[in-house]
Amino acid sequence: MSDTVTFKIKRQNTAESSPYWENFVIPYIPNSNVISCLMDIRTKPENSKGEKVAPVVWDSNCLEEVCGSCTMVINGKVHQACSALIDKLEKPITLEPMSKFPVIRDLIVDRSRMFEALKKVQAWVTADGYHDLGPGDRESQSIQEVAYKLSECMTCGCCVEACPQYTQKNNFLGAAAISQARLFNMHHTGKNITDQRLDTLMQEGGISDCGNAQNCVEVCPKSIPLTESIAEIGRQVSGKIWRNIFKA
Amino acid sequence: MDSHFLLRRIHSLTGVVPVGLFLVYHLYLQLYLHYGAEIYNNEVNSFYDSPLATWALVIVVYIPLLFHSLLGVLLVFENKVQPSYTYFSHLLYWLQRISGIGVLLFIIAHVWNAKLGPWIAGTWGTHFEHLSSGFADPETGMLTKTVYLLGVLGAVFHFANGLNTFCMTWGIALTPTSQKRVRSFSFLVFIILTASAFYALAAIW
Repeated sequence: MSDTVTFKIKRQNTAESSPYWENFVIPYIPNSNVISCLMDIRTKPENSKGEKVAPVVWDSNCLEEVCGSCTMVINGKVHQACSALIDKLEKPITLEPMSKFPVIRDLIVDRSRMFEALKKVQAWVTADGYHDLGPGDRESQSIQEVAYKLSECMTCGCCVEACPQYTQKNNFLGAAAISQARLFNMHHTGKNITDQRLDTLMQEGGISDCGNAQNCVEVCPKSIPLTESIAEIGRQVSGKIWRNIFKA
Repeated sequence: MDSHFLLRRIHSLTGVVPVGLFLVYHLYLQLYLHYGAEIYNNEVNSFYDSPLATWALVIVVYIPLLFHSLLGVLLVFENKVQPSYTYFSHLLYWLQRISGIGVLLFIIAHVWNAKLGPWIAGTWGTHFEHLSSGFADPETGMLTKTVYLLGVLGAVFHFANGLNTFCMTWGIALTPTSQKRVRSFSFLVFIILTASAFYALAAIW
């Protein structure tokens, strides 16, 4: 094992400026991860040519792969930087911001589109008013098991970054939002607005923009069965087409 | 339910019914190549004995096929190429698009060669002779054979893999296990139809 690690980082100074590549060489520390290495670079922001440069900026929060904010493209594949271990990565390590969102600076992107998608599919349980509604219905064990897995989604953006159908030019809602729609369509109170969620998903940007490439389920850091969610929503809208034509 | 959504669902449906089923019927007819010119020509021409034959073709085959092709061509160019994600399903995703374009070009050539060309020349009806003489042509025979082989292979792949994605799109196969089952089934369809189509072509090779 060599005693240094080289990072090839795609940088961008402002949202409008064009990106450029810069290399950084830092001492190798066993068991380090991409975030700890970025912290190392920040302590002495000098590129491989020895020039003093502005430190590389990135987004992070929980540092335990739960919040999703440090998601970036590492060696060509999207992953959380905090749980990307240096010992398991091929060197030199390339870091890029996610390509499906507008870059704010260096490795920081604006993931608003994902949160807007959650609003569009109304990924919540509607509670109307402040009055006491009494205890909610009990969930069966089998539903709990499915719902728990789906609820682990942290809207990190891995699924849509790897999706060939999700581009900055279209308005596809993406696998995460589709899966959350499924989660709340399963919920006892959440299912009250199932039809509204399906109506959104049966429009441009909805479920029909999925191209079945299935990259989403491969890259999901939480191993959420995203293709199962897409197929389940596919089944729900199939039923809704039928109802729209023959029952409306 | 907007037109964007509906058109894509109709695209998915027309690929299987009727276009896919027509492909299976069409490949079945080709097996008659092994029975010689007379039986093969009779078998194909008998379809046209019905007064509704042309109408049936237009409504059941040409219009759905044209719709499936036109929307399909648009769908191919709305995505992003991401070669670093080397997963099998992702490969199938691109093969589906590449084979779709290839098969469309093949169908245009095939309709011209087997239908419009002979029809204009006034020799339509002698299908076996037309096909076998095209294959046996010393200059263009090899090219024709290669184009047919690739075209048929592409069409069968596009149909078999399309069955697989159809089951996901419409929510027929839900769980990863059932999706694996459907994939195995579509692989079986691919093998059987390829074997059948190549066996048929072997009769006039």
